[in-house]
Amino acid sequence: MTLQKGRFSFGDYLEQNPQVRRLLRIVAVIVLVILGGLLVVWAVNLYTWDGFVARASKSVINGLALSMLLFLMVSGFFLIFGLCDVINFAHGAFFMLGGFLGFVIYLGTEAVFLDPALPFSIVFGANHFAMSVTAFVVSALGATVVMALVGGGIEFFTVRRLYGNPIAQILLTVGFMFILTQIAEIVFGPPQFSYFLIPNSQINYFFIMGIFDFGGGLQFAVYRIFLIFLGFAVAGLMFIGFRRTRIGLQIQAGIEDSEMVEALGTDIRGLFTIVFMLGAGLAGLSGAVLVPWIGANSGHGLTYLIYAFVIVVVGGAHYGRFEGTFFGALIVGLSIQFAAYFVPFLENIIVFIIMVIILIIRPGGLTGHE
Amino acid sequence: MKDLLEIENAHVYIGSFYVLQGISLVVPKGEVTLLLGRNGAGKTTTMKSVLGIYPPKRGKIFFKGEEISSLPTHKIVNKGIGYVPDTRRIFGTLTVEQNLIVSLRKGSSRNDMQERLEIIFDLFPDMKGFMKQRAGTLSGGQQQMLAVARALMNENDLLLIDEPTEGLSPLLAKKLIDSLDRLKEFATILLVEQNFRTVSRLGDNYYIFDNGKIVHEGNNMAELIEDKALVAQYLGVSI
Repeated sequence: MTLQKGRFSFGDYLEQNPQVRRLLRIVAVIVLVILGGLLVVWAVNLYTWDGFVARASKSVINGLALSMLLFLMVSGFFLIFGLCDVINFAHGAFFMLGGFLGFVIYLGTEAVFLDPALPFSIVFGANHFAMSVTAFVVSALGATVVMALVGGGIEFFTVRRLYGNPIAQILLTVGFMFILTQIAEIVFGPPQFSYFLIPNSQINYFFIMGIFDFGGGLQFAVYRIFLIFLGFAVAGLMFIGFRRTRIGLQIQAGIEDSEMVEALGTDIRGLFTIVFMLGAGLAGLSGAVLVPWIGANSGHGLTYLIYAFVIVVVGGAHYGRFEGTFFGALIVGLSIQFAAYFVPFLENIIVFIIMVIILIIRPGGLTGHE
Repeated sequence: MKDLLEIENAHVYIGSFYVLQGISLVVPKGEVTLLLGRNGAGKTTTMKSVLGIYPPKRGKIFFKGEEISSLPTHKIVNKGIGYVPDTRRIFGTLTVEQNLIVSLRKGSSRNDMQERLEIIFDLFPDMKGFMKQRAGTLSGGQQQMLAVARALMNENDLLLIDEPTEGLSPLLAKKLIDSLDRLKEFATILLVEQNFRTVSRLGDNYYIFDNGKIVHEGNNMAELIEDKALVAQYLGVSI
């Protein structure tokens, strides 16, 4: 082992001493198993069996719902990073803006639907449930489309000039994050205020507030189960799109080597704009469907940006593996919800603890290289 | 029109490096033109400036009589240029078939693809066997076949082929050169090669590069091989 020019990192040390890394890895696994075991023992002592099952099942459902939401958001972040090589610091702000857009569009659509002077009141009649569900779908799609246009516009007018200049890109996207966050604060107030959909219609009873009751404490919010399905549906669509369509394959190929894709005859700049629109649209969609559950909040921009980073690093998506975002989101979403139900004081930091452990065991994340 | 590609006094910079210092060359239709010279002489840069990746600061490039020197890469390529890069640069996470689909240009149909595949399988019969395989798991020779096949997915008038035999065993290299020989009937070829003896039977014309300039040109490969002094000075000792 030699010290080189006074610069020496723990990573280099591990590189030179694979047996130490192996040892650390074994120690980390043992610590993890013991910690997990202790948690289970502690939980079993603390709760009755029924209470334990109820909490565990709720953590699973809520965790999956949160994971899917995070996955929708992070897949947009990943696409922009993968193809355009831009770390979009404004992605959390896109997500936050999507939430407010969903909120505003929902209220606007509902008002239009309820207006007796317009034909919608005849279409829906007294069926407030159908009306509110339609309004909700309109709000989610509306937020997606508006954010796609905002993202595409930002790419076309600003980011486009800065490809190949990472420092300027970071400054630019960080700037957009602050600008968008501040606009949201001016309009909707500081992060102390969260906005939820509390409609004056039957959506209140079934779709958002509705509960599946299986008895014995097994109650699940309908909306969160809907989120799980939505996440899987969008993931499935994207998976098929990436495998089966030429443009999907071009995006994948571009993530590997964008210059070569262009040299084969594809307008790569056009593809960049499309990917920015897709990424921002996904952020808008996930922000909008978050509103009925966690709400729209001007502080989400930063919180969810950090989650996006953790998910990418944990999943190993920075090595260009799309699956990485999916597994990363699962780990982050589930661990946050499990912590919330079993060890509430860890809720806000559990993801970072897990990130540190995973980075020690597998420095490249779950799907990346060692 | 006899000359498919014409470069007129091109000066090319990469960053602040003055790489091509006034290159002029022509690629006649239906023939194979070789760019020879040592590592770093400017052969690959010449190709990349034709493709618009490093557009010339001064000078002009004409393709089919049309000036292309200020067009973006994809527009140049879509005029009918196929590119086989020097380190293959296949898309390793995609399958071979998906690599070929990515190479299809806008407006090509399933039928076109089938037609092109027939030409490719005729040239590289082995490829049928690994169409569904992930390209990253292919051997060097197979990857090179894929890299050439990618350029054949569209009807191109000109093929730019950069160091095709690099890293291949002599036997594989010979097989590949045989295939390239048959490619001549489909397209005009501009070929970069360091190891000029392996491709000497392909070439109709050649240009020798040294330090970003063309120092010698001719159209008789046999004479070039005999010219020991020239070979030693500009092409190094190739074994």
